[in-house]
Amino acid sequence: MDKDPYAVVLNNALTEIKKICPDVSRSFIFKKDGMIVAGDPEIDEKTLEGIIESFQKIAEKADTIGSLKTLYVNGKKGKVILSSVNDMYLALAASKNADTTYLHSVTCVIIPTVLKLLETTTTTPIPLQSTPSKQLIVDTLSGFFVGDSVQIDIKIIEEWAKLLNQKSVDQVEIEAFGGKTTQCKVKEINDSKLKGKGMIRIPEKLCKTLEVKKGELVKVKPASS
Amino acid sequence: MSVKNKSKNDIEIVQEKLQNIKGREGIIGYILRGSNSASIDLKDPTKIIDYAVLSATAFEAGQNMSAMFEIGEVDSIIMEGEDTKLLSMVANNHRLSIFMEKNVDHKKLCKDLNLT
Repeated sequence: MDKDPYAVVLNNALTEIKKICPDVSRSFIFKKDGMIVAGDPEIDEKTLEGIIESFQKIAEKADTIGSLKTLYVNGKKGKVILSSVNDMYLALAASKNADTTYLHSVTCVIIPTVLKLLETTTTTPIPLQSTPSKQLIVDTLSGFFVGDSVQIDIKIIEEWAKLLNQKSVDQVEIEAFGGKTTQCKVKEINDSKLKGKGMIRIPEKLCKTLEVKKGELVKVKPASS
Repeated sequence: MSVKNKSKNDIEIVQEKLQNIKGREGIIGYILRGSNSASIDLKDPTKIIDYAVLSATAFEAGQNMSAMFEIGEVDSIIMEGEDTKLLSMVANNHRLSIFMEKNVDHKKLCKDLNLT
């Protein structure tokens, strides 16, 4: 369960609850069907199963009181609190003197907030890391063997690759100031005289597509290949 | 006074307190169960079985959780539902479960029963 990012975040939340409420000795989160979502690694499997089994028995009968929301078991040496959080249950074991009202309010704020955040982040697509576009000066490439690739400084390609955590950048998106855009392959500038001058060498055919001429500025950014 | 008579007297005191409590606002009723007898007073008699089963399950679950989390002998169990609450505890060797509306202060009930 620890490898699941959902579980990792909830485990962190449980750790934070322990920090805020040092009276909490053990805690775990499980679903109504018995699936354990997060929890202390020191709680052994047998204990977890036993608690969940007891919970399920009680939850089954709790329709009489309108489904189980919270269960407190107060013992001579400590207490157990089991609270419903969204579609999950949080089980906490705390010392006898733990302030139940405070504990309840803390858990009722932290866990639902974390769950809400998780739901939001999992349903909303993660925005792509912003890749800074570069404004480069157009130089035209002509001849029989120019191919379809544009050429830019290797330093820019390496910078983008590093930002995107990729080995390399093979494709770029070019946007002309007139609004025309295109995607094409990219290579390192092979003419040493043009290196480090903020230039992009574009084959003539592509220049026509983009409606740009030599000396004009274009916006260039990495594209997914 | 013999031990048996003292115990009988103690449970009579609990029953007297329960008679007083049951008339309060928000109290749905109670189940007091000994080894040989049971007193049940619920506003809705059609739910006796449901409440009795829930009460027994609460005690059983409480004992299990206490053993697993090592929190010692169980003093009380409070179960909250959507709109109803259950307070269960052992009173003079009798299992007592009081059913109430959620807004009732169960801590006050414990104090009034002098079982805290």
